[in-house]
Amino acid sequence: MKRNLSILLASLFVIAGAIFTAGARAEGEVPAPLAIGATVEDFTLPDVDNKDRSLKSLAGKNGTVLLFIAVQCPVSNAYNERMEKLAEDYKAKGIAVIGINSNVAEDAAAVKAHAEQNKLSFTILKDAGNKIADKLGASVTPEAYFLDTNNKLLYHGRIDNARNPAQLETSDLRNALDAALAGKAIEKTEAKAFGCSIKRA
Amino acid sequence: MRFTKAIVPVVVLIVLLCLGAPAQKRKYRAAKPTQPIVVSPIDTEALKGLLTQQRQRPLLVNFWATFCDPCRDEFPDLVKIDKEYRPHALEFVTVSLDDMTDIKTGVPKFLDEMKAQMPAYLLNATDPEPAINLVDPRWQGDLPATFLYNEKGEIVYKHIGRVNPAELREAIEKVVKKGDGQ
Repeated sequence: MKRNLSILLASLFVIAGAIFTAGARAEGEVPAPLAIGATVEDFTLPDVDNKDRSLKSLAGKNGTVLLFIAVQCPVSNAYNERMEKLAEDYKAKGIAVIGINSNVAEDAAAVKAHAEQNKLSFTILKDAGNKIADKLGASVTPEAYFLDTNNKLLYHGRIDNARNPAQLETSDLRNALDAALAGKAIEKTEAKAFGCSIKRA
Repeated sequence: MRFTKAIVPVVVLIVLLCLGAPAQKRKYRAAKPTQPIVVSPIDTEALKGLLTQQRQRPLLVNFWATFCDPCRDEFPDLVKIDKEYRPHALEFVTVSLDDMTDIKTGVPKFLDEMKAQMPAYLLNATDPEPAINLVDPRWQGDLPATFLYNEKGEIVYKHIGRVNPAELREAIEKVVKKGDGQ
């Protein structure tokens, strides 16, 4: 009886160990970012009201910006007004802005309350389990991905150079959107995003 | 009578201990460093100079920010490593990527709480990208990030994300010369 119990406990220990190892992610380990020119497959995530929304249903007729954002990150929050203005300005030009929150500790209710407090009117999706962040290789907030009408990645990286809007010098994301809208080649297709690490599950 | 005789030394001891305790406390307070922590601004060019110069000792650099949770979590380990290896001729500096407005407030406050003694800098650049690229073009700028340079200014170890203290110690052991402390 005692022997059986020992075997059972040992088996449970081994199984638990295997589950833990398989699920564990080394800290700092983020999948490589999607390459410029690669295509993002259509995906579906719930919005802050738990309604499923697909990328296809939200995409703009001239392209789509996916913005990884956060509730608690001071860098992401420093961009709230700029993100809202970006969404407003480019909605009129046929480019949709979609926010994505992949932080494990920020649930849909917190994301909704944050959006209301900060008057963020664009759609925000909750990426529980950071599946889309992993697919795209997003590592920080804020971090932007600009897709063309075929979901091909045209620009990846920061919104602009400065957390402090008074120090704004280069609006990399806007430059990319303007170039694409004008049918021109995007001069700078990547600019390193700077912000808070996405807290993955 | 016998009881009184026995209790007197105990009372004396208690009184002495009570008198001694504040004296010890005062002594402890006096031993605490009184100099406030100064965080120096460093621009991209100066950072380049710091990282690439030939030096007598290996250099450990930790990039961090007060808004970064894993940075805050790993800091006590970094302070321990600094205390442990500084006598073995390891230079250790921290570079904060906080906003310049935090240089006299949030950054020194946190370093003070951590009792961090290593030289502290804050990146003074309106655009952090050139600084991130000069450190390591493959680094995306996510924090924390820790780099170990040898005497020639070459990166011999790097870790993006919260450090594993055992792994970092192992890397340091390979480059420090034990008994070479100053």
